[in-house]
Amino acid sequence: MLMAPITAAPRQQRHNVLQGEFEVSSDPHLVLTTVLGSCIACCLFDPVAGLGGMNHFLLPTPPEHVRSEPSEEARRYGLYAMEMLVNGMLKRGATRSTMRAHLYGGANLHSGMRAIGSENAEFARRFLRDDGISLARADTGGTLARRLDLQPASGRVRCREVAQAFPQLQRPALPPTSGDVELF
Amino acid sequence: MPKRILAVDDSLSMRMLLRASLTSAGYDVAEAEDGRAALEWLENNEPTLVITDINMPRLDGFGLIAELRAQERFRDMPILVLTTESSPEKKARARDAGATGWIVKPFDPEKLTVAVRRVMH
Repeated sequence: MLMAPITAAPRQQRHNVLQGEFEVSSDPHLVLTTVLGSCIACCLFDPVAGLGGMNHFLLPTPPEHVRSEPSEEARRYGLYAMEMLVNGMLKRGATRSTMRAHLYGGANLHSGMRAIGSENAEFARRFLRDDGISLARADTGGTLARRLDLQPASGRVRCREVAQAFPQLQRPALPPTSGDVELF
Repeated sequence: MPKRILAVDDSLSMRMLLRASLTSAGYDVAEAEDGRAALEWLENNEPTLVITDINMPRLDGFGLIAELRAQERFRDMPILVLTTESSPEKKARARDAGATGWIVKPFDPEKLTVAVRRVMH
């Protein structure tokens, strides 16, 4: 299950999943790790296929932009981040019906600004609901950053709030190949 | 009467985004969740264009294109692939199967609409 805490294991390899990245693995010695502020990390685990994965994204909404909900570009970016992770799982034998998701992050670090973290968390929840992927746990919101570890082969996860080492709020950009059209 | 486009993608979120983009450009949009569901819908319908994802359960985009090109009535219908994949090998495989074009996600609605217009007219 995704709920059990991670224990120290010998020969453990750690891979940092940076903003805009995703990773899927069934390597029992691998731990995926990241630090989240307003960003969201979605962890997927499929107990039948024996693999898991993590992404790390932030919807690209300019701070000065006053909107009640994410822009279309933001939704496209978020969809891309989620689809890359889901496809990565599906390609290696997972199915939507047996996948379980966890969501972490989405903190609102800066008071007086828009609740960017909450918007990111809501986007991810809606995606999972619409795409029929069960959300088993969500630890989102608040005002503190989080450090997250996922052992993808077992689905074990550890998330703890950290008062320091806030990740920088980066403006994500769409990938360079986005929207490329080639007619044959 | 607006031209009808069949959007095939296993992600409901993506289908909703496609529907929003294409209906605002004046097209009628039907949806199917994978290649098999698309074939079932196409038994009784004849859209002007099919836009399909590649990675889908039951029947993927490559299989769908091959099945459609094997049918006389769909031999000349444009088929656009819309996918997160960008490898030349997969692109060549889609072209060889009979795809009309290849669009990489996340798509730009304006580029998508331009491509749709070009292949349908």
